[in-house]
Amino acid sequence: MARYGMLIDTKKCVGCYACRIACQMINGLPSDEAFIKFYEEEQGSYPNVYAENVPVQCMHCEDAPCQTVCPTTATYTTDSGVVLVDEKKCIGCKYCMAACPYNARVQLHPSGVVEKCRFCWYEGEPGNPPACVGTCISGARIFGDLDDPESEICKEIARTNAQPLAGDLTRAKIYYVR
Amino acid sequence: MVWGPMIAWYLFLAGASAGAFITAAFVARKYPDSVKMRVAGRLIAPVFMAIGLLLLMLDAEAGMHDPLRFVYLVLNPGSVMTLGVYFICIYMPVCLIAAILEIRKTPVPGWLDWIGIISAFCVAAYTGFLLGVVHAYPLWNNAILPILFVISALSAGLAATSLIGLITDRERFEQMWLVKKSHVILSAIEAIVLFTMLVIVNSGSPEGAASVHSLIAGQYAPLFWGGLVILGLIAPFMIEGYPVFITKKPETSTTSLVVSIIGESGVLIGGFVLRLLIVLAALPVAFL
Ligand code: SF4
Ligand code: SF4
Repeated sequence: MARYGMLIDTKKCVGCYACRIACQMINGLPSDEAFIKFYEEEQGSYPNVYAENVPVQCMHCEDAPCQTVCPTTATYTTDSGVVLVDEKKCIGCKYCMAACPYNARVQLHPSGVVEKCRFCWYEGEPGNPPACVGTCISGARIFGDLDDPESEICKEIARTNAQPLAGDLTRAKIYYVR
Repeated sequence: MVWGPMIAWYLFLAGASAGAFITAAFVARKYPDSVKMRVAGRLIAPVFMAIGLLLLMLDAEAGMHDPLRFVYLVLNPGSVMTLGVYFICIYMPVCLIAAILEIRKTPVPGWLDWIGIISAFCVAAYTGFLLGVVHAYPLWNNAILPILFVISALSAGLAATSLIGLITDRERFEQMWLVKKSHVILSAIEAIVLFTMLVIVNSGSPEGAASVHSLIAGQYAPLFWGGLVILGLIAPFMIEGYPVFITKKPETSTTSLVVSIIGESGVLIGGFVLRLLIVLAALPVAFL
């Protein structure tokens, strides 16, 4: 079974927000609801400072705290490691929003359901590739199987020594080059 | 912030309901003649819990659009929210039956009372664990919060019941030394536990420290000091403590009646403010 994950290279990201808009389009989100959030981090030391763009979305944590707390089991993980929300079960209690340490969850309106990035999951498979990856103008995003050593993502993680965003905060499946 | 005043009200009402049920059971055993106060506690318990549950459901937007979904709440026993639902499924019917028995002037059987007491404790504790297990917020994620919530729940339930006892049956109420003493002691313990929690959260992480700072010196300071510390802890402690430890005789004057009403109301306001502040002031751990 595949174990899907993503690599985001912040050195390549120019902060154009194309991924976020593609995501909003494919998920039918209005302009003020988004599954990808952008954070700007000040990096380097004087005089060589720059603003690093860090796009953040659901990390599809292997030990997903959102799933642990979800009282209705609306939040679940597929065999291929993608964390999903069953919109027909979610009551909108927002416990998962509180539990997610990456602020990755968004309450949708008017349904009240709490959603997040789902790797463009559709009919039992993730997007090939997900919209954000396909649309990225600078090739900053790679999607693939973390368990397949021959996959592009695994080779790139090994080559760049990419790491999850926040150490062992959770066992995240999005890796960052920073 | 993920949750707001609506959830704070729920946490408060659920806790005060549990506290009122326990108070009524206590009064039934120790002061069988204090009928009015016992009945008050028995009625407050289901009413508070019902209002709280209503608020909880109103806050769950997707469930309100499709109320059948609330059935799914029982599906994940690993979630504290689901555990809470189990406890409430026992507690709510028990306290409803107890209230109905009390209205029909039939004695509440001891075993029913005990199921009620135990489930009331579970309900009060779960409101604390609900927040306590969330790692993302240091102000919540500590072992002391559930204890603080249980003590505050007992205190608020006792205050709600006492308030009615005080107004409807003052003469008897003034004789109930055990009730008064418990009240004073609960305020003191709550203050100590609150202090301990803030010290621990403050030293645990920068985000915890920032949360504590916003409470004691930042944007929430007026509410923290005015609503929780002075009105909710110090005033009731002094007002109840004075007759219990200093004069040692029942009060009869109207002034003392008014002062006592202020004390009891203070505990209730403090109980709500505590939960509101805990919900609002929690800052998440940084991930960047
Ligand atoms: S990033 Fe947040 S929403 Fe996504 S799996 Fe982890 S805890 Fe859940
Ligand atoms: S808001 Fe929905 S997905 Fe999130 S914990 Fe509640 S029921 Fe589960």
